[in-house]
Amino acid sequence: MSTALSTTTAYARLEIRRTLRDQGFVISTLGVPVMMYLLFTNLGGQNDPAYRTAAMVGMAAYGALGAALSLGGGVAEDKSNGWLRQLRITPMTPRRVVTGRALTGAVVVLPSIGAVLLAGGLVNGVRMPVLQWVAVALALWLGSLPFTLLGLGNGYRLTPQATGAVNVACNLGLAVVGGLWFPVELFPDWLASVASWTPTYRFAEAARALAEGRVPGTTAMVLLAGWAALFGTYAAVSYRRSARTI
Amino acid sequence: MTKEPAAVFETVTKTYGPVRAADGLDLAVRRGETLALLGRNGAGKSTAINLLLGLDTPDSGRVVLFGGEPDRAVAAGRVGAMLQEGRPVPRVTVRELVGFVASTYPVPMPVADALSLAGLTALADRRVDRLSGGQAQRVRFAVALAGHPELIVLDEPTSALDVEARGEFWAAMRGYARRGNTVLFSTHYLEEADSFADRIVVVDAGRIVADGTAEELKRSAGGALVAVDLGGAPAAFLSGLPGVTEVEVRGDRARLRTADSDATVRALAARDAIRGLEVAPLTLNDAFLALTRGRDDRRARDTGQGTTQDAARATAPNREPIR
Repeated sequence: MSTALSTTTAYARLEIRRTLRDQGFVISTLGVPVMMYLLFTNLGGQNDPAYRTAAMVGMAAYGALGAALSLGGGVAEDKSNGWLRQLRITPMTPRRVVTGRALTGAVVVLPSIGAVLLAGGLVNGVRMPVLQWVAVALALWLGSLPFTLLGLGNGYRLTPQATGAVNVACNLGLAVVGGLWFPVELFPDWLASVASWTPTYRFAEAARALAEGRVPGTTAMVLLAGWAALFGTYAAVSYRRSARTI
Repeated sequence: MTKEPAAVFETVTKTYGPVRAADGLDLAVRRGETLALLGRNGAGKSTAINLLLGLDTPDSGRVVLFGGEPDRAVAAGRVGAMLQEGRPVPRVTVRELVGFVASTYPVPMPVADALSLAGLTALADRRVDRLSGGQAQRVRFAVALAGHPELIVLDEPTSALDVEARGEFWAAMRGYARRGNTVLFSTHYLEEADSFADRIVVVDAGRIVADGTAEELKRSAGGALVAVDLGGAPAAFLSGLPGVTEVEVRGDRARLRTADSDATVRALAARDAIRGLEVAPLTLNDAFLALTRGRDDRRARDTGQGTTQDAARATAPNREPIR
């Protein structure tokens, strides 16, 4: 049991290293969200502290979303280059490989969350009690799980090329419609009502509530849990289908 | 005391669409032997290896690895393998990769040993995806060795290596086999099978067509080659001579494959047909061609059409390095 656990973490460590060495990953999940956050909040004289806080949470969520989805790109890549097949002939069971990947996802979302929160606190002067910072970071971290599962599902189901395209579509679609870039209040009514069903909107909503010192609403929690279950099923089915052919 | 075999195929079949990639394979791999699966591209070597490793399941029959299911032997860390189709793993160094794979095995080889056996010590901190094809092939060899497995399975292990690297590779492999480990490799290089294997299993169209040492293979393919000049005489009578199994005429010279060279030569002498006589033992190459060609002829007769191997050869004539 302990060897199983240490093998899984050793595998996750290897995959985390590989992910962080991917320059495309670093730029798109650290550079882009931080830059967009600073641009959106400092152009056009938007000095409203509430907006700076809300945008900070939105962009941190956007960064975490991108990092979580990119996990699928890695899986699809390793499916095509034979690494997943090579892993199958090591004593490591396929289940531990997936667990290690999910663990990788849980770690590689942290830099984007941290970077945007740091930019908020240090550059944009966002102020909150320490406990609230911790709560916001934790909510962003845990809330990214459904997207990690979505990324895994894409990676196991699709070819590398298709995974890239689908990830970009999921990333932009969920970010924009979920109100991570622009507040949902600016949306026409019909789009706002669509937004309220998206996992990204509920993800950011929960973290924003904490940033404003409120407790996240049960609707948000229930919807997020529902999406997590849906994406989890998608990931499990995709994995099982591909496990036979890897 | 006889030990149970390392691996056993019991009448294993596997079909991919219309292709019978394994067509009733029966084979027992003894412990400690170095066995070559020899065959052309598309003969079914990789299929046999994938079945052996549990990467694929047979349509019928059974594969037993160390007395149980292949998955169990793999999970117990008794097998290391080098697959054919792998590309380098991106963004990882040689040491990280080999070290990680070693760590998944219960009793691995020290990473430094695996690196040195594969000739990678100087490249340990280089990224795997930035190595040359031959170096990357050595990384895959180190990955196969890292767990210190009892059985090592190598699918076309030297296809990307130059002559010198090939020599080094086989030296390392021999060292590993000498420690009592079992080695199974597939190849389409006859010389490799001849020089490095204790036992050669010739696979063709998903079947085992011969099994034995190089000498036994040559014998089973039918003895020797006899060549004579025709001196303008018609060649028709040659195929009726005792022992002759095949006649090939090039210009004025006839080359006969014979199961009994003595009888053939006596018959030639009786007909006063000895001109520029040459008698030579069959080379492994001749034996291989005879063993595999025989099947093609039979199949072509059976089905009235060419085989998948013929098609493969027609589309990829340069990829047939059997010499």
